[in-house]
Amino acid sequence: MKYGRLYAEDVNIGDELPPLVKGPIQQIQLTRYAGASGDFNPIHQDDEFAKAAGMGGVFAHGMLSMGFVAQAVTDWAGAGRVHKLGVRFAGIVRLKDVVTCRGRVVAKSSKDDVHLVELELWAENQRGEKVVTGRATVGLPSRG
Amino acid sequence: MATAINRGVIGREFPPYVVTVERGTIKEFARAIGDLNPFYVDDRVGAASEWGDVIAPPTFATTFRDESVDYNAFLHDLGTDISRVLHGEQEFELHRPLQPGQTYLCRTRVADVYEKSGKSGPMGFVVRETSITDRTNELVATMRSVTVVRL
Repeated sequence: MKYGRLYAEDVNIGDELPPLVKGPIQQIQLTRYAGASGDFNPIHQDDEFAKAAGMGGVFAHGMLSMGFVAQAVTDWAGAGRVHKLGVRFAGIVRLKDVVTCRGRVVAKSSKDDVHLVELELWAENQRGEKVVTGRATVGLPSRG
Repeated sequence: MATAINRGVIGREFPPYVVTVERGTIKEFARAIGDLNPFYVDDRVGAASEWGDVIAPPTFATTFRDESVDYNAFLHDLGTDISRVLHGEQEFELHRPLQPGQTYLCRTRVADVYEKSGKSGPMGFVVRETSITDRTNELVATMRSVTVVRL
């Protein structure tokens, strides 16, 4: 359940996160993300600049896609539970692309009162091409 | 002529800078991503939470930047410019969530610079690490960023 409370006991290795579908990406979102993040690289705003740079046109900030991936994790695990999140930007996200963020539980551990869950994460575009791959560690509360 | 990336910047430390997180900045960041999690955007939910206030999304520290640092000058020192760089990798380690009204000290250093040949030719990689500490000098978060330079 979105924004529900997830407990360590409810999580099993192999569990999949509910897919989070974002987009289609619009220029206005890239402009808004530039303002919110302070990243005003013209390659995400100015089509002529991006073409002259050999990128074939504007594309989304990698950090916007990472924000989507983080949302997939926090929608499932809850806000404030992420201990570690690391990604590789594997492909360019362009205007009109639809980005689907996915993940699965690959490990679980408990030590003292700390319950950690390790996730494998990825995001793909509408053609099934991976645009982000990554890992996260989340700390979950226990029912006990 | 093949250009090379300047490995001489390895170990460079940027001047430490201070950031005080504003409530509205967290909310606008969350909204720009399209993430309306009430723990980020709803003050009442935040006040009733275990953190006593709203918290920032996991990637929020990407907004921390020292406006007095000339990023283009740094790229020039590396031997490149803004049109040649891409974001390759990013990692956040969070010891606790970042929160509004808190003041953090950020220290960034260039951890590594190296070259590799990719499918589209030689690429440079620049690894920067930033530590984020609070007023009591406790480590709150670290971020690691890999910038890819098309050589």
